[in-house]
Amino acid sequence: MQQNKPFEGRVALVTGGSRGIGKAIALKLASLGAHIVINYFRRTSTAEETAREIRDYGVKAHIIKANIGEPDKIEDMFREIGNVFGRLDIFISNAASGTPRSPLDLDQKGWDWTMDINARAFLLCTQHAVPLMSQGGKIVSISSLGSFLVTPSYTSVGVSKAALEALTRYLAVDLAPRGICVNCVSGGAVETESLKAYAEEAAKRGFSVQDTPAGRPVKPEDIANLVAFLCSDDSYMIRGQVIIIDGGLSLQL
Amino acid sequence: MSVEEKVKEITARITHKNVDEIAADGTFKDLDADSLDVVQILVALEEEYNIEIEDEEMQKVTNMREFIDYIERKVAEKGS
Repeated sequence: MQQNKPFEGRVALVTGGSRGIGKAIALKLASLGAHIVINYFRRTSTAEETAREIRDYGVKAHIIKANIGEPDKIEDMFREIGNVFGRLDIFISNAASGTPRSPLDLDQKGWDWTMDINARAFLLCTQHAVPLMSQGGKIVSISSLGSFLVTPSYTSVGVSKAALEALTRYLAVDLAPRGICVNCVSGGAVETESLKAYAEEAAKRGFSVQDTPAGRPVKPEDIANLVAFLCSDDSYMIRGQVIIIDGGLSLQL
Repeated sequence: MSVEEKVKEITARITHKNVDEIAADGTFKDLDADSLDVVQILVALEEEYNIEIEDEEMQKVTNMREFIDYIERKVAEKGS
């Protein structure tokens, strides 16, 4: 194994991996030698472009279109991964969606949609991933500060991320005997397309990502670097932790 | 089943309406469809025909007739 390709021969699934944070994670893991499965929701052309960038690292890239809010689609996706690769070593639960509503305006459909994609899918995907991780593995969920801080209209996503973080802890203990490490990365306001939907409203309250003590907003690559560390052998003793990477943003009153 | 029939069937299923309630000059709003319903309709059609529906193009669509025409064009492009 080459020293600079610690994940050589391993297979990684990144849900929501065609763009934004997921894409940065996929490219980082590919740069370290992992073959990548990209799950995406709608834009096939975007996923294909990301797959091309992944292959430039000399690894395999496989794209699967699936709405992970639907259990049947999750089952199909993992069957396909099993058929194509026969194994899975790394699972990054990154895909997320949400309906921007205040608590009193959030309807049942919006609640279910968000919880199904952001929280339930993490459980169902892990249940399907574990049988493919017979030699151990790494699982990292992606959360956000909204799990414990209140941001306007972030209700459904924030609550779903709290569930995701709690599930991370339960899985970390339950899967430890199988040699599977489970952790969570919670990003501050990361510079992606998705952020724009919430940034405008937050800005009305005087909040700005420019206020980050570290001097700049969090970039997708910052998240990817931390995820790569949590997928490495160096992080073996870190279990069930929610690691915040926000440049110090959440430390301030 | 024609593309038009399939579009109406999927739209009716997701909005919990009868197919005959899908009027050509009607809108998603007339069917009480919110943004999540519309996304589900688009995804169902993308999967049915293995096409990619552009959100930018969808914003130009003003009624069901135009929506059906757009999907028929995408399906025809895919087949050509």
